[in-house]
Amino acid sequence: MRIDARNLLDRLGRNEFAYKEFEDRFSDLELWPILEALLRDPRLQTLDQTNVENAAPEIESSDPELSAEPLKNLFSRYEQQSVSPSIAKSVVEEPARDVRAMLRHLSDLGARGEI
Amino acid sequence: MPMIVCHGPKGGAGNTFVAAHLAMGLSAQGADVTVVSVAARDTLPLHFGLSPATSLPAITAPADEAVLVGGINLRSWRRAAEDLDFVPMLGELGYFQPGKERVLVVDVPSGETRLARRLIEHACAHVCTITAQPDTLALLPQVFGEAGAEGLARTAFVINALDETRRLGRHGAAFIRELAGSRLIGRIRLDEAVPEAIATLQTLGRYAPASVALSDVQQIAEAVAPTLDSTASAWVAPVSLAA
Repeated sequence: MRIDARNLLDRLGRNEFAYKEFEDRFSDLELWPILEALLRDPRLQTLDQTNVENAAPEIESSDPELSAEPLKNLFSRYEQQSVSPSIAKSVVEEPARDVRAMLRHLSDLGARGEI
Repeated sequence: MPMIVCHGPKGGAGNTFVAAHLAMGLSAQGADVTVVSVAARDTLPLHFGLSPATSLPAITAPADEAVLVGGINLRSWRRAAEDLDFVPMLGELGYFQPGKERVLVVDVPSGETRLARRLIEHACAHVCTITAQPDTLALLPQVFGEAGAEGLARTAFVINALDETRRLGRHGAAFIRELAGSRLIGRIRLDEAVPEAIATLQTLGRYAPASVALSDVQQIAEAVAPTLDSTASAWVAPVSLAA
């Protein structure tokens, strides 16, 4: 570690520091095409099945600060503020949709030229 | 002696770093740990502060040839991929029994997928180290397809070298988090102290005790520890750090 960083941490009385959150501008939240392509791959559903069938009961994280904002929240925020009213309405009507369904839905709308 | 297999889909993601620090973390929790590298080109000793000239003894070598660092036994078995007797040999050596008395951590290179699958069948946990970069994400469907539901039941994911100051890294991590859910047991922040420690021939803990990567990987070792006593075919860390 550089001596200036070490000195700063000493002055702050901390062993480490890191950025905890970075705001995304709405224009940053567009889909990365590779993520959409991956979500369309049926092999990724294997993990869903594994989680459902075999996972032990999940215990709440002991440090919620470690959890960053879920992807679906990012996209729901995006939808609420920057997409057409028809899409925003569909999100309001179906709040429980998971992120895969949401991304597919957005993709379908895009394919039909409705976004 | 339970076995933990460290194997990721893409080289350069930090699999050996995670294997070494899992061994250190489990050792710090009282386990008697052996870590074995099956790589033809082995960088495991560097993470223990050893010289690049260090040659690790074979797993079958006598105790007087052992390389011990902080009580951890470092071994190698370079022909593991071709050696069909390797897995049965580990069983005969007692490496597949639950308990904390003796633990085996196996560092399997990304290219040795068949060997990894053979080992994971007998492991109490498979720790899959990935980065949040798109070229790694692109391999995940293939990983899942090859592993199947049974293989994934023992798999926990770790995101390494995460730089959340970068938009793509942030989104990639969010994607993995959504995909893996509770099977994502932690993330290790990008930290220049990791290569610097290697360059100074010191362990990360000695070179930079305040390293964020060190504290992150120590938390991952704590999350993995409960699996040592598990006899179930499926495993999820009881404390998901959710990265």
